[in-house]
Amino acid sequence: MIRYLLKRLFWMVPLLVGISLISFLIMHLAPGDITNSEASFNPKASEESRQKLRELYNLDKPIIVQYGLWLKRMVKLDFGTSFASHQKPVFWETKDAEGNVIKGMIQEALPITLLINVLSLGLIIFAAVPLGVVSAITQNRPPDRAITLFVFIGFAIPGFWLALMLMYWTGVVHDWLPISGIHSLNHDKMSAWGQLWDTLTHLALPVFISGLSGLAGISLFIRNGMLDVLHQDYITTARAKGLSENTVVYRHALRNAMLPLITILGLAIPGLIGGSVIAESIFAIPGMGKLFYDAVLMRDFPVIMGILTIGSALTLLGNLIADIAYAWADPRVRRGVM
Amino acid sequence: MERPLLLKYLSLRMGIMLSLGLLLTACSKAPSGNAADFDQSYPPSSGGTLIDATAGEPSGLIPMIAGEAAASAVASNIFNSLLKYDKNLELQGELAQSWSVSPDQKTITFKLKPGLKWADGKPLTSADVLFTWKLVTDDNTRTPYGSDYKLVIRAETPDPATFKVSYANPYAPALDSWAGLQILPEHLLKGQDINTTSFRFKPVGSHYYKLEEWKPGERISLVRNPNSTQGPPRIDRLVSRFIPDPAAQFLELLADNIDSMTLNPIQYSRIVPSREDLQKKLALYKELGNNYTYLGFNLKHKPFDDIRVRQAINYAIDKQELIDGVLLGLGEPVSSPYKPGTRWTNPDLSPYPYDPNKAISLMQAAGYTGRDNEGYLLRDGKRLRFDILTNQNKQREMSAVLVQRRLKEIGIDANIRVMEWASFIGRFIKTGDFDVVLLGWGLSLDPDQYNIWHSSQQAPGQFNFIGYNNPRVDKLLEQGRLELNPDKRMKIYHEFASILLADSPIVYLYAGYGLPAIHKRVKGIDNPAPPAGIGYNSYDWYIPPPLRRNEISQ
Repeated sequence: MIRYLLKRLFWMVPLLVGISLISFLIMHLAPGDITNSEASFNPKASEESRQKLRELYNLDKPIIVQYGLWLKRMVKLDFGTSFASHQKPVFWETKDAEGNVIKGMIQEALPITLLINVLSLGLIIFAAVPLGVVSAITQNRPPDRAITLFVFIGFAIPGFWLALMLMYWTGVVHDWLPISGIHSLNHDKMSAWGQLWDTLTHLALPVFISGLSGLAGISLFIRNGMLDVLHQDYITTARAKGLSENTVVYRHALRNAMLPLITILGLAIPGLIGGSVIAESIFAIPGMGKLFYDAVLMRDFPVIMGILTIGSALTLLGNLIADIAYAWADPRVRRGVM
Repeated sequence: MERPLLLKYLSLRMGIMLSLGLLLTACSKAPSGNAADFDQSYPPSSGGTLIDATAGEPSGLIPMIAGEAAASAVASNIFNSLLKYDKNLELQGELAQSWSVSPDQKTITFKLKPGLKWADGKPLTSADVLFTWKLVTDDNTRTPYGSDYKLVIRAETPDPATFKVSYANPYAPALDSWAGLQILPEHLLKGQDINTTSFRFKPVGSHYYKLEEWKPGERISLVRNPNSTQGPPRIDRLVSRFIPDPAAQFLELLADNIDSMTLNPIQYSRIVPSREDLQKKLALYKELGNNYTYLGFNLKHKPFDDIRVRQAINYAIDKQELIDGVLLGLGEPVSSPYKPGTRWTNPDLSPYPYDPNKAISLMQAAGYTGRDNEGYLLRDGKRLRFDILTNQNKQREMSAVLVQRRLKEIGIDANIRVMEWASFIGRFIKTGDFDVVLLGWGLSLDPDQYNIWHSSQQAPGQFNFIGYNNPRVDKLLEQGRLELNPDKRMKIYHEFASILLADSPIVYLYAGYGLPAIHKRVKGIDNPAPPAGIGYNSYDWYIPPPLRRNEISQ
């Protein structure tokens, strides 16, 4: 088991280097660099000073040299500083000689995105499992049809539109929920419970909106898994033993139907750090999606590479964790691995 | 990870759908608490908080390095320059009490106001000005704005209240450049690396406000600076919330969570006027924006080197239609590259009228005599066919569609290509690989436009990318830079503008208005807006105590 783990971890290194090289090349395929931003399209900004900036950022060097310089920094886990955001550190905070701490961009954006994604993933599973099970045991009957219709509407409805409508309904027409942002202006003056409540009410809509579109996939997954399992011989055996329908469904069938979910959750781990640009822009949430999108528009290479590197490392880790979890949950797989 | 194209498509639809949704949903929140009459007038008083929303977050508050609009908007409340523009866009002293130009026009001497202080109480002297000049011209400073200041060959501080700069040649835009350089404190920045100093997140300035708190991703709040060099402002606290999505900003405005934002034409002339509850609490203003939109030709490509073709296209485009259709009438036609109503605008010029017949006869004179069976004009058996390139900007895309239709009517076959900004600049503008672009230029306050129109400014990355080359214009632009007398300068730029209009290297389409909406609780705002816009006297705005929000006024 340990050997297997070490082997998998070791192979992640060349894989990561390969991924980063391809990302780096693709990033540079898009025309333009930081000196082409809309703000610098200003006759007061001379071409000489822009050329000077390109030299300072090594953008005048061949791409492969730039990649080498980046890799050299990455070996020391130095993600560099942003071009567009005033030399802010990309990943983690730095401290200057006088003890002033400057927070990293990913460090600032990651917690809120993680929180929203974990909550919405929780919401998805919490809602999708019962929906999927009910759908499966009432296959092709009205409850199944209604659930399928509902989750497909949730999947198909444009998230931004629903978000705006809900913001208008719950924030303008009624004073139920805050419209945007993650804290109220007087957040700091609230009690601890008040602050928690304040944050939760701010997160309610974003979590709901980002959860809604994921609901369809997972609940159909559970439904089909359940249908597969319910037609297996051992379910017939369980029924033949005279077990109650509840025991059959929840003890014997559901646990087996949940197995594929592990793979999905493993693959969802990298998704946890990637926010949705649309939801984050509409709700004014300073998360990873917007950070990445803005970095792409500004050609802020260190930030793009930082997020891609962390994302791909997490994807590889997520795969590994999913495999391990699978082995833990399914004895048949365990024998193959160890 | 993301779907930018999809996002773009969605954001296009968003405005339309939201406005529909708002119109359809007729019910609205019952007035909560006391239904104050916001139209009542109150005497000026101090205090209160003004909350506004901006789409972007500043990357830092040292404007010469940050560069983006969000940073300058906040920094302009924190830092002073030597000079500023008054309500009629004439130069006025800000830190400088007076300034004088030497008889040979090569030296400018600024006298600072007495008793100037930084927000931390330290004196502000000419040494700070000299320090800032050294910073902006330093090769290690990562700023694109150094070039104007590098023309200074000598900068001196004969005494703490005097700052003197000398140029090798008279340089007329110099005064404008000193209105644009915000002075930084030497005692806090000396010996630091300006590019990475933490000063950018906790600036100390000298203007009306100082930084109170900056919550990354959420908001910046500024509080009144007791040592302000310009006297005290009336409003105690300015809060800027970062809300990227304009529709979300509008919802916050409707819910009374922010006091001001910039509206789009649909919100301004359709949604707000149709709702009584909004009219009760929102005041709408209209100020001339800072840029104009144009259709530019690549003069190095055939047939755009032919003035008849350019003029024909100019006659074929109905500018009023663009203003009515794209801006819902909230804009003005322009005929010189300056803000209408300022002295630099030549009052004798008017835009090319919409005249399709004249356009067709000009095209025929240029050799487009044939017609194919689809009605397109032909020269040597070929259509005039080109791409109109523009970036992802809703107003520009809509303009391109209207232009395309008018060109089709006279028999020109135009396609529209919309691109993301950095690709557009990197792939097409820098390489000169385009026929026609639809873009905008800023309406600068100083009339010098050497960088845009002088024939020497055509190298890749420079701003005369359309390849305009007229010896007389070159001469005028050179003269205009040497002439510091405003009246003589005005004559030079009036002639420049009239040649430019006749040459038609670009088709001026329109200059749109800025459309701020501000809650009626904020009093003291000039309406109608003066040429400088409503913001020029924001220090005099006030919020009467009965109209203040109660939850934040603690």
